[in-house]
Amino acid sequence: MGRISLENVTKTFGTVEVIPPLNLTIEDGEFAVFVGPSGCGKSTLLRLIAGLEETTSGRILIDDQDMTEVPPSKRGLAMVFQSYALYPHMTVRKNIAFPMRMAGIDEAEQEKRINAAAAALNLTDYLERKPGQLSGGQRQRVAIGRAIVRDPSAFLFDEPLSNLDAALRVGMRIEISEMHNRMATTMIYVTHDQVEAMTMADKIVVLQAGVIEQVGSPLDLYHRPRNKFVAGFIGSPTMNFITGEEATKRGADTIGIRPEHTEVSTTEGMWKGTVGVAEHLGSDTFIHVHDTGLAETFTVRISGDIAVRHGDTVYLTPQPDQIHKFGADGLRIE
Amino acid sequence: MSKRTLPRLLQTPAVLLLLVWMLVPLGMTLYFSFIRYVLNSLRRPEWTTPSLSNWRGFGNYEFVLKSKDFILAIQNSLLIVCSILFLTVILGVLIAVLINRAFPGRGFVRVLLISPFFVMPAVNAVLWINMILDPVLGLQGIAVGGINDLVDGLRNAPLIGWFFSLWPELEPISFRATQTSALAVIIMVTWQWTPFAILIFMTSLQSEDQQQKEAAVLDGASAWSQFRFLTLPHLGRPIAIVVMIQAIFHLSLYAEIEIVSRGNGNKNLPYLIGEFANNNIGAASATGIFAVILANIVAIFLLRMIGKTLME
Repeated sequence: MGRISLENVTKTFGTVEVIPPLNLTIEDGEFAVFVGPSGCGKSTLLRLIAGLEETTSGRILIDDQDMTEVPPSKRGLAMVFQSYALYPHMTVRKNIAFPMRMAGIDEAEQEKRINAAAAALNLTDYLERKPGQLSGGQRQRVAIGRAIVRDPSAFLFDEPLSNLDAALRVGMRIEISEMHNRMATTMIYVTHDQVEAMTMADKIVVLQAGVIEQVGSPLDLYHRPRNKFVAGFIGSPTMNFITGEEATKRGADTIGIRPEHTEVSTTEGMWKGTVGVAEHLGSDTFIHVHDTGLAETFTVRISGDIAVRHGDTVYLTPQPDQIHKFGADGLRIE
Repeated sequence: MSKRTLPRLLQTPAVLLLLVWMLVPLGMTLYFSFIRYVLNSLRRPEWTTPSLSNWRGFGNYEFVLKSKDFILAIQNSLLIVCSILFLTVILGVLIAVLINRAFPGRGFVRVLLISPFFVMPAVNAVLWINMILDPVLGLQGIAVGGINDLVDGLRNAPLIGWFFSLWPELEPISFRATQTSALAVIIMVTWQWTPFAILIFMTSLQSEDQQQKEAAVLDGASAWSQFRFLTLPHLGRPIAIVVMIQAIFHLSLYAEIEIVSRGNGNKNLPYLIGEFANNNIGAASATGIFAVILANIVAIFLLRMIGKTLME
């Protein structure tokens, strides 16, 4: 079981309020992702849940038990750190055994759990090595192994993939998702990368300056962002925002159009512009269009290829049912 | 010229200089240790110039081995070095861990802690033996006198007087005496070199990964377990460095021994060399060779020990 609730939790460092009163519930077995720009308080929030930081006020409940004053090791949570935080002078086996050794679990049981974790994480051949002799991905798996053997009620991940290269990150992303499907344990995952958030989460929590901007499923956030911040943060490339005449015409202060919801033509369309940079990815093409009179650059994304080059004139037409409207307060207008 | 020749050629002067630096003194010491060579002799004036015709073979070595202070000097060399290493490493680790936490005035405390290291060894010895350890005028004498006066006063007190009349009169310890002069040297050098250990351990502690500690906290490690399983192994290398450097320095202690007791009851090998060198250069050189051998044994022993226990 692992149902985690935060009730009016606040955190201040000195006089700086990092997290204003915050309420959030993560259901048992859910994969929740905290996402936001750096400095938004997402890591602090995770550390509050782990018990590494003390709450200034409010309560943290795990399975309806008040854990606010309970020391970190007694909360039944396991955490995976960005720097892996492996113990450098211990072998992989000893690293994984460490939490069990501290808990006084008998040797035979330790051995059983280590072998099970190693088999699940492809670490069996590396058990006698030290962390320094492993690659980044293997170290990350050891850190996860150390978390698994504790059989926690929830896993906490603090930007676990940030130190890996792009290819490895995709692989580990899938491994962690599969692990979640297999174990069905609550997981809280902190990242600044919206792609990780979109691909892994059951529930995304978008944070800015310690305030929850929106909570919802990935597609919920993508299709119905509650405000301009969420709209701009979720989706890649980012949404185009247009103010002025085009917006007022549609009864909004700002309108937002996602790059993939725009038709591009070389002959006719609603808005005319000049191609700045065209990024050809093969499967997709990102075109940065200038001189549209709408915004400095208007990014469009089309699947497949289109024969345009720097300086060409193109015409853009937004899909009318995919235009997001925002009021002067930044909130979405239906 | 092949690719390797030029770099080797460029290294040559440095290597040669180092070789000469090492080999010439060692060679001269070896040479003097096998001949009769004294600074002053009215009876045998020919011994006052080093010459192969004064060849004595292993005679100097025999003379040194049979001299009454040789065994004492070896024992004392080892006792002093080992005691100082033991005390400075333990005190150094404890104090470094203690001041690693943030507290008001930490910078000031650190400067104070480091300062003994900047005192000259001879000054250190004079200060300790005269102002602190002296049984009459030093802090020790004053403290012992004070306690005795206090106990004396309490003997006449009602009700509890009988208890204090059972107490013996405390005697201050004379640290210049034969039995205790080595202790005085150990105390003063430990005081001076603990800051060195603290300095090295402190910098090492600052580079300790805080996330490892947090991971250990979540893993349920107590403060002691964190110290034992994370901090101590992390300090393994710096401890090895402190032990090696200090072993080299303390095998050649001289000023403290000279000032505390002029070698009375407390000689180490360098001090013995100094005594022989007053006249008998041959014996002094032979003692020097013994000192080189001892230093090598200590070095090998220490390296093995440290390698096994700390660098696992």
